[in-house]
Amino acid sequence: MFGKLSWSAIPWHEPIPLMTGLVLILAIAGTLGLITYKKWWPYLWHEWITSVDHKRIGIMYVLLGVLGLVRGFADAIMMRSQQAMAVGGGEGYLTPEHYNQVFSAHGTIMIFFAAMPLVIGFMNFVTPLQLGVRDVAFPTMNSVSFWLTASGFLLINVSLFVGEFARTGWLPYPPLSGSEYSPGVGVDYYLWAVQISGIGTLMTGINFVTTVLKMRCPGMSLLRMPIFCWTVLASSLIIVAVFPILTATLAMLSLDRVFGWHYFTADLGGNPMMFMNLIWAWGHPEVYILVLPAFGIFSEVFSTFSGKPLFGYRSMVAATMFICIVSLMTWLHHFFTMGSGPAVNAAFGISTSIIAVGTGVKIYNWIFTMYGGRVRFGVPMLWSLGFVFTFVIGGMTGVLLAVPPADFIVHNSMFLVAHFHNVIIGGVVFALFAGLHYWFPKAFGFRLHEGWGVAAFWFHFLGFWLTFTPLYILGLQGMTRRLQHVNISEWSGMLSVSALGVAVTTIGVVCQIVMLLVSILQREKLKDLTGDPWDGRSLEWATPSPAPFFNFAVTPNVEGEEAYWGIKTRAIESQQLSAEPKYAPIEMPVHSPVGFYTAAFATVTGFALIWQIWWLAGLGLLGAWAGFVVFAWRDVHEFHVPVEEVARVDRARREAREALLERIAAEGASA
Amino acid sequence: MSGLEYDPAPFAGALDDREDHAPGDEPLESAGHYIYNSNLGLGFSIILTVAAFVMASTQLIYAPAIPVALLVLAIAQMGVHLVYFLHITTGPDNTNNVLALAFGILVVGLIVVGSIWIMSSMNHYMMPMDELMRQQV
Amino acid sequence: MSDDALLPAAVETVRRVREDPHRLGHRDPHAGGPVAGTGQGMTGPATKRIIVGYGFWLFLLSDIVMFSCFFAAFAVQHDATAGGPAMRELVDVPRVGWQTAALLLSSYTCGLSFAATNLRNKLWTQIFLLITGLLGLAFVIMELIEFVELAHRGITPQVSGMLTAFFGLVGLHGLHVTVAGMWLLTMMAQVQLKGFRPEIVHRLICFNLFWHALDIVWIGIFTIVYLMGAIS
Repeated sequence: MFGKLSWSAIPWHEPIPLMTGLVLILAIAGTLGLITYKKWWPYLWHEWITSVDHKRIGIMYVLLGVLGLVRGFADAIMMRSQQAMAVGGGEGYLTPEHYNQVFSAHGTIMIFFAAMPLVIGFMNFVTPLQLGVRDVAFPTMNSVSFWLTASGFLLINVSLFVGEFARTGWLPYPPLSGSEYSPGVGVDYYLWAVQISGIGTLMTGINFVTTVLKMRCPGMSLLRMPIFCWTVLASSLIIVAVFPILTATLAMLSLDRVFGWHYFTADLGGNPMMFMNLIWAWGHPEVYILVLPAFGIFSEVFSTFSGKPLFGYRSMVAATMFICIVSLMTWLHHFFTMGSGPAVNAAFGISTSIIAVGTGVKIYNWIFTMYGGRVRFGVPMLWSLGFVFTFVIGGMTGVLLAVPPADFIVHNSMFLVAHFHNVIIGGVVFALFAGLHYWFPKAFGFRLHEGWGVAAFWFHFLGFWLTFTPLYILGLQGMTRRLQHVNISEWSGMLSVSALGVAVTTIGVVCQIVMLLVSILQREKLKDLTGDPWDGRSLEWATPSPAPFFNFAVTPNVEGEEAYWGIKTRAIESQQLSAEPKYAPIEMPVHSPVGFYTAAFATVTGFALIWQIWWLAGLGLLGAWAGFVVFAWRDVHEFHVPVEEVARVDRARREAREALLERIAAEGASA
Repeated sequence: MSGLEYDPAPFAGALDDREDHAPGDEPLESAGHYIYNSNLGLGFSIILTVAAFVMASTQLIYAPAIPVALLVLAIAQMGVHLVYFLHITTGPDNTNNVLALAFGILVVGLIVVGSIWIMSSMNHYMMPMDELMRQQV
Repeated sequence: MSDDALLPAAVETVRRVREDPHRLGHRDPHAGGPVAGTGQGMTGPATKRIIVGYGFWLFLLSDIVMFSCFFAAFAVQHDATAGGPAMRELVDVPRVGWQTAALLLSSYTCGLSFAATNLRNKLWTQIFLLITGLLGLAFVIMELIEFVELAHRGITPQVSGMLTAFFGLVGLHGLHVTVAGMWLLTMMAQVQLKGFRPEIVHRLICFNLFWHALDIVWIGIFTIVYLMGAIS
C-alpha cells in the first residue's frame, strides 16, 4: 500500500539528521504560521506564488538559491570539521555512512539548488530589462520552471528526515548507485529531485534562447545587446543542448534500479562506463552554464565601475560563443583515467586546453576595460577584482589537469577538489555576490550597506584561500577526496588550517546576513531615488527602482550599443529629458497558479516514485496532466494596464530623473 | 527620431510573416502549395522507405555496403521530412530555424559519434566487465 | 521607395529578402508592398506565432538530443547480448513495414489537417486529425503486440544490455507517440469547442512539429535498430 515507506524511514537513531529535520520542520511550520497569522496569504498568492513576472520569479529563484547555499555550506562545515578531527586515528563525529551522504548532498545541493537557481534568477531578473522588453518569451512556463526547481529542493530536504540521501557523490556512478549496491532510497531521492528540477531548467533554457533571439526592443540588433544577454544566450543554448542528456542518463539509471534493466549494471551486458561518459557529457557543459552568465555579470560590473564601455565587445561575443560551442567537446577530461587510450585522451586534452583561450580573451578584455577608466572600488568591483585573481589561478590549475599524464596523478585527489572549488567559488559565487550587490537596488529600491559588504568580501576572499590552499597542497601530497577519516597524521596541520578557513568564510556569511539586516533597517537612508545608483550604461538603469511590473512605459528604440548611456549623455548635455512620449495601454500576461500546481503534483509523484507507491505516482501524474489541461483551457491570457496607470508611473519616473539632472547640473556648476 | 521616450508604432511587435516564421508554418502560402509539398514529401518518403526495406531483404546491393546504404537512405528521408513537411529551407525567412537545427545536429553528432568513439576505445584498452567482476573476489 | 526611409534595418538585407529570385524562402508569390523587417530582430519583438513556434522547435531539438542518448546507448550495447538473443531474432520485418507505413501516412494526414487549419476549415481539420490519431493508435498497438509477443518468448529488457537498450529506445519512442496521441485528443476537443483562436492555431503548429519529429525519429529507429539488426 505504501511501497517501501514505513515508520522506520524516519532516522530515529541518528541524532544529526533527526535534529536537523526537526529544526527544518519547525522553521517551515513557524514561517507558514506567521504568514497565516499576519494574513499575508492573499498577497503572497497573488503577487508572488502565481506571479509570471520575470522579476518576481528571478527574486524567488535567488531566494531559493540562497537557501541552497546555506544548506550546502552547512554540509561543507560538517565535512571540513570532520576531516580536521578524524586525523591519524580520530573518528570524528560522522559515521562513514553519514559522511558519504553529507558530501553527496553538499555537491548536489550546491550545483542544482544553489548555483543553478542563483544564476537562473539573475538571468530572469536582468535579461528582459536589458533587452528593453516587458517579459520573457513564455512567462507562465517561467513560473513552472521555478516551481519545479523548488519541488526538487523540497524533495532533497525531505530526505533529511524521511529515509536517507544518496551516498554516491553528487554524480551517482554505477554499479555503486545500482540497485544491488545502493538498495535504499537515497539514490532515488537524488534521481527524482534532479530529474524534476532538470525539466524546469530545460524549460528555462528554451525560454531564454527564444527571448534573446526573438524578443528584443526595436533597434537592438544582436551586436547591440549588452554582453550579459549574450552570455545568457550562450548559457541557455548549452542548457537546451545538454539537459536532455541528464534526463536520459538519470532515466536509464532509474530503469536499471527499479525494473532491473541493464544499461549500467556490471553484468549481463551493462556498461557502467557509459554512465560516466553520458553524465559528464552533461556535467562539463553544466559548469559553463554556470560560469558564462557569471562572466556576463562581471562584464557589466567592470564597465560600469570603470566608467568606460566594455573593451573589445565583438571579441567578447566571439569568446562567449566559442566557449559555448567548445564546452560541448571537452567532457572526457573528467575521466581521463577510465582507460580510453592515448588518442582519445589527447584529443580531449587538447580541446580542454583550447577552451581556456576564450576565457583568457575575456580576462584581458576586462583588464583593458579598467585601464584608462575612472575605477570606483564599490563592493561589486571588489568581488570582480577578487574574481580575476582567484579565477585565473583556478583556471591555471585547470589547464594543468587538462594534461592527461598530469591528471593521472591528481585525478580525484584534493587537488581536483581545490581546483573546481577555485573556479566555481572564484567564478560563479563571486559573480553572484557582485551581481546581488549590483542589482539589489533595482529589485528592492534601496542599496545594500557598503561597509558590511566590504567586510563580507574580505572575509569571503580570505576564507576561500585559507580553506582551499591547504587542499591544493594535500592533493599534491596524495590525499584523495571523500575521506571520512584521514590515516596520515602529518596532514592534520593542513586540514586544521582548512577548517579555520571555513570559519573565516562563515564570518563572511555572517557579515552578509548583517549587511542585509542593516540595509533593511536603514532602507530610507539607502534608498535609490533615481533608478540609476551606479551610473549605469544599459537599459535596466533607465527604469525606476524597483522597476514597475511592466518594465518600460514605452518600449525603447535603440540606436547604438549601451542604449541607456547614449540617452543619458544626451539628456545631461541638453540639460533636459526628451519630450514626454505618447502613452498607450499595455498588455501584460495574467498570473497563473499552474506552476505551483504542477510542482505540487510533481513533488507528490517524485515522492511516490522514490518509495515505490505506484498508485500515488499515478495519481500525481494524472493530477499534473489534469492541471495542465485546465490551464490550457483558459480564455483570458492577458490583461490591459490602463493608460492612466502607465502615465502615472512614468511621470513619477521622469520627475525623479529631472531631479537627478538638476543635481548633476548643480554639481557641474559647483565643480 | 530615436531615444528612450519614443514608442515606434510601426515597428513594435510587427515582424512581418514573410520575413521570419516558425518551422512548419507557412502563413502566407496557399493551401494548394502546402498540399503539393505534402504530396511530394509523402511520395519521396515512400520511395526511400520501400528502397530501404528492399535493400535489407534482398541481395541487390553488395552485402557489406548495405548498412551504409541504409544510413544514406535514412538521412535522405529525414531531409525529405525536414524540407517537405517542416518547410526548412535555406531562405532568409528560415535562418533562425536552420541555425537551431544545425546546432541540434552538432550536439547529436557529438553525443553519438563521441560516445561510440570513446566507448569502443575503452573496450579496446580495458578488460571486459565480466572478467573484471570475476577478479573481485 | 519612400517606404525604405521607415526601415531601421540594413538596406542590403532588406533588398536580399525582397529579391528572393529562386524562391528559396516560401512566400506568397503575389505579395508586394513594404517589408518591415528582416528577421534579424531589429524591428522589435516577434509575433506570438513565431515565438511559440520557435520555442517549440528548440524543445523538439532538445527531445532529439535525448533520443540520441538512447541511440548512443543502443550503439554501444548492440553487441552486449549476454548469451541471450541477438537483434536478428527479434525483428519482424513485415510488422516494422506496417508500422512505418502507418506513421508515415499519419505524418501526411497531419500535414493535411494543418492545411485545413490554415483555411480555417473545422470539418477537414478534425477529419484529418482523427485519421492521424487512428494511424498513430495503430502504430502503438502494433508495437505493444510486438512487445507482448517478445515477452512471451522470454525476451525482456532484463535479459541483456542489448535488449535493455532496444526496449528503452523503441519504448521511449512509443511513449512519445502515446503522449502525442493524448495531446491530439485534447487538440481535437479544443478545436471543436473553441474554434481557431490564435493560441489554438499556435498549439496546432506545435503539434504538427511534434508529430513530424516523431516520424523523423522513427526513420532512425527502423533503419538502425530494425533493418540493420535484421541483416547483422
